[in-house]
Amino acid sequence: MTEQSGGTLCKQALRLVRREMRGGFRGFGVFLTCLFLGVFAISGIGSFTASAREGLLAEAGSLLGGDLEISLHHREIDDQALNLLTALGQVSHVMTMRSMAADLTGERRQLVEVKAVDPAYPLYGSIAIEPTQPLQSVFITAEGPGALVERSLLERLELQLGDRIRLGESVFTLTGIIESEPDRTIRAFNLGPRLMVSHAGLAATGLVRPGSLTEHAYRLRLPDRETVEDVKAELQQSFPGAGWQLRTWREAAPRVRFFLDRLNLNLTLLGLCALLVGGLGVYGAVRGYLHGKIVNIATMKCLGAPTRLVFTAYLLQVLLLGAIGSGCGLLAGAAVPWLLVGLAGDRLPLPLAPALHGEVLLGAALFGLLTALAFSLKPLGTVRRVSPAILFRGYRHAAEQSPGPAVWAAIVLAALALAALALTISSDKRLALWFIGGATVCFGLFRLAAILTVALARRLPRPRHPALRLGLGNLHRRGSSAGNALFSLGLGLTTLVIVIAVQANLNDMVSENVPQQAPAFFLLDLQSHQVERFEALARSLPEVSRVERYPTLRGRIVAIAGRPVEQASIAPEVQWAVRGDRFLSYATQMPEKTEIVAGDWWPADYRGPARISLTADLARGFNVGIGDTLTVNILGRDITAEIASLREVDWSTLELNFAILFAPGTLEDAPQTHLASLHLPEHRQEEVFRVLTRAFPNISVISTREILRNVSRTLEKFGAAFRGMAGIALLSGFLVLGGAVSADQHRRINDAVIFKVCGATRWNILTAFAAEFLLIGLAAGLTSLLVGSLASAGIVKGLLHAPFRLHPGLIITTILLGIGLTLLLGLLGTWKALGQKPAAYLRNE
Amino acid sequence: MIDIIDLHLSLVGGAGPVNILRGVDLNVAPGETVSIVGPSGAGKTTLLMALAGLERATSGTVRVAGTSLAGMSEDGLARFRRERIGIVFQSFHLVATMTALENVALPLEFAGAADALERAKEALISTGLGQRLDHFPGELSGGEQQRVALARAFVAAPALLLADEPTGNLDRETGEHVMDLLFDLQQRHLTTMVLVTHDQALAARCHRIIRMTDGHLHELTDD
Repeated sequence: MTEQSGGTLCKQALRLVRREMRGGFRGFGVFLTCLFLGVFAISGIGSFTASAREGLLAEAGSLLGGDLEISLHHREIDDQALNLLTALGQVSHVMTMRSMAADLTGERRQLVEVKAVDPAYPLYGSIAIEPTQPLQSVFITAEGPGALVERSLLERLELQLGDRIRLGESVFTLTGIIESEPDRTIRAFNLGPRLMVSHAGLAATGLVRPGSLTEHAYRLRLPDRETVEDVKAELQQSFPGAGWQLRTWREAAPRVRFFLDRLNLNLTLLGLCALLVGGLGVYGAVRGYLHGKIVNIATMKCLGAPTRLVFTAYLLQVLLLGAIGSGCGLLAGAAVPWLLVGLAGDRLPLPLAPALHGEVLLGAALFGLLTALAFSLKPLGTVRRVSPAILFRGYRHAAEQSPGPAVWAAIVLAALALAALALTISSDKRLALWFIGGATVCFGLFRLAAILTVALARRLPRPRHPALRLGLGNLHRRGSSAGNALFSLGLGLTTLVIVIAVQANLNDMVSENVPQQAPAFFLLDLQSHQVERFEALARSLPEVSRVERYPTLRGRIVAIAGRPVEQASIAPEVQWAVRGDRFLSYATQMPEKTEIVAGDWWPADYRGPARISLTADLARGFNVGIGDTLTVNILGRDITAEIASLREVDWSTLELNFAILFAPGTLEDAPQTHLASLHLPEHRQEEVFRVLTRAFPNISVISTREILRNVSRTLEKFGAAFRGMAGIALLSGFLVLGGAVSADQHRRINDAVIFKVCGATRWNILTAFAAEFLLIGLAAGLTSLLVGSLASAGIVKGLLHAPFRLHPGLIITTILLGIGLTLLLGLLGTWKALGQKPAAYLRNE
Repeated sequence: MIDIIDLHLSLVGGAGPVNILRGVDLNVAPGETVSIVGPSGAGKTTLLMALAGLERATSGTVRVAGTSLAGMSEDGLARFRRERIGIVFQSFHLVATMTALENVALPLEFAGAADALERAKEALISTGLGQRLDHFPGELSGGEQQRVALARAFVAAPALLLADEPTGNLDRETGEHVMDLLFDLQQRHLTTMVLVTHDQALAARCHRIIRMTDGHLHELTDD
């Protein structure tokens, strides 16, 4: 007989597929749902972030406040530069700083984010004010200067529009509420509500002094925004040492975009977890479906169907169904941005521009199809080797055959393609590699756990209780689905444990466990002439245990070991240090609780060339050591300093410290303010806050507890997104378990009937099944506890460099919930078996 | 041992209720063997199921070993079966995922016997399957599978054995071996036995032969 050509084979296979599909999607519910959920999760988050990026770009002008922004700290640009800017286009000058606002009685005070604007503001977009009124009219009233506020400031100071507040040496009438600011996006980590005034109004407060922590932004609106790169280059060339930061509209909202990238990456990886767990559902469904087709396949083989034809036909069917499941997931995922805009509209913290993002959808579709392929190849390979001889036996040989080396090779290739795809779409390759490695190890561990559980069940002494004995026996019986169920449930539970444990540790860092030694307050903007009076007052206050103070300046790292930062290789975890201006200080004495890990601290009377002490984590991330140099731009001047010592700093104590500390002799004459911290017990904090803010109206007092609460709230919001994604993974796990139980139902009904004939009561059968599911749940739970805790410890310690604390209560609750649901789901699935009337079943057999 | 008076049993099918047993009376003494013969659809298997408590009578009385099955719950009937009744089916009905030993031990395990496996092993050895203890049904021949089913039916030393066409799926020679074993076990345990069969020769090995036609019993032989 001649070998069939590829075309003939495909035609015959397609004919078989058409016949097989006459029965519709029966038996493929779990298959389709698992793929749907996984692909939906990936395409949904991808579409959301892509639409947010588009939205940011579309509104880049108003988000940046212009086509080009020149920002600098502590000082304004000089007239020469301003003249050039004015010649290039329309200019708007915005100044921001933090300060304390108070009601006129001085009883209530609140840290505010002050923003001073000029008549040209905003160059793009518009500010929404309630009641509606032109912006410039709000700053002048009959009683004096006016100010706009965010609603939360009115609530905190218990004021109304028309009331007056004190800022520095001035009193402002509150003329309107800011509903939205065009140049402000996600309000995640702001320290206080906004207070908007005019430049003249701010100048009158007396808050702006040399060294004050002010930020100036000059926004430029060009006649043609596409020329922005040329203008940027021209400015850089004309003022090479100006110490400005220049940002074009294409680079608007860099923090938001960075945040979006991280959000996208992390949630996509979690979505991939859901898809991988769902892959087990695909495996179970295909295995179950093909198991029911064994007699058909054996018959076809008896009638002369070649193995290749059988394999091709069922492979095509799986791919077709995979395309349907993934397609539905893609549609739902692609609809997410539209849905969000429809539901939340203007309340969204980001501008969304809903669109179909081909690249995102293609990636998600490939994930879906590759998962369907990778997880269905084994059962397909096994079933193609079915012997027609089974038709002549009363019982099928329960032991599965190996799918053969060619199919194993195809499985490995599909898995590698999945890994390569995950790597390709990830912006952080290192994290993607960790994920791939972690997922592989997880799969390996759960496979091992499944083998060990089955082996242990076989070797354990037979329990005296018959139900337990049967339940235990069901775990290691041939054709048992225990391994698959343990695998799927365990992976889902592990994902949830990781997310919950990581979030609990992040919460630990910021909320419940304010370190014992943490200061109660940080005080910004203390002027040099106020230092003596401040220290005297602070030390005279009862129960103030410690007062620390450092002179502070702001500076930007511009070169590392002589290489400009743009060309230097910098580890991702310390990128933050070169992203903008950082606080710097100088010190004669080494700060308390500091450990020098390399080099030496300078002598107290040192007055030589510029030297710095750097934290060890920055040195590692910058790949520099003792004797290397860092160049820091401070107030427009580049200062190159040699690294004299490296310090290990435990930032989690929240003690006052600096990544870069200069030796004496370099920065003393630069304009500077002071940063101080105060340690005192919680019950005294309110009173001390009042005394300090009254005595020093210009300084900003930041409560540690308040910041941590703010961060905690933000974490909670994002935590919900992560828990939701992990929930999808767990839901997939339960679906797979449900599928495994359902695929096993025929066997269970058969067993239950025979058990009844042999004298088993319903309670006997129920307890036997319950024991089986309980044992699966326990094994899955314990393995998840171990793997999830190890993985979360790895993430918290390895990636976040934070201390890890096991949360046994939280994790055990998660696991118990998982076990409880397994039991419930398993028993619901076997309810039919329990209620089966033996006579009717036996009659039909 | 068996006392059936005016037993009626109807089943509800797609086309409405079907009267399968229409006033059956039967009396079987302890240790007696009775074969029931008759055409397909006459109600033979239904009668066996009613005796096993697997079907409930529509009316009439079924008493086995002095106990009326009428008022018993489903679980009560299950307990009654495991203590008093053994059943052998034409298609064996072994649990495919359990070994021969595990299959035979099932009734004892449900009864909570601590020595279930030991007794199951003895039962299998007594049916000549001492070398097949750990084999799965799929690895056994038809005759061997029915011998496992026989061992399972007799392992708890039931007072009554119900056999439904036990040689129906076997060739003549194997069937004869299996029946020799069945009668041998029955003799050893002095078990009362009701045997449904189409095989006249097999039926003739019982003390009594009863013919069932159209839901009624007719005694053919009284030994």
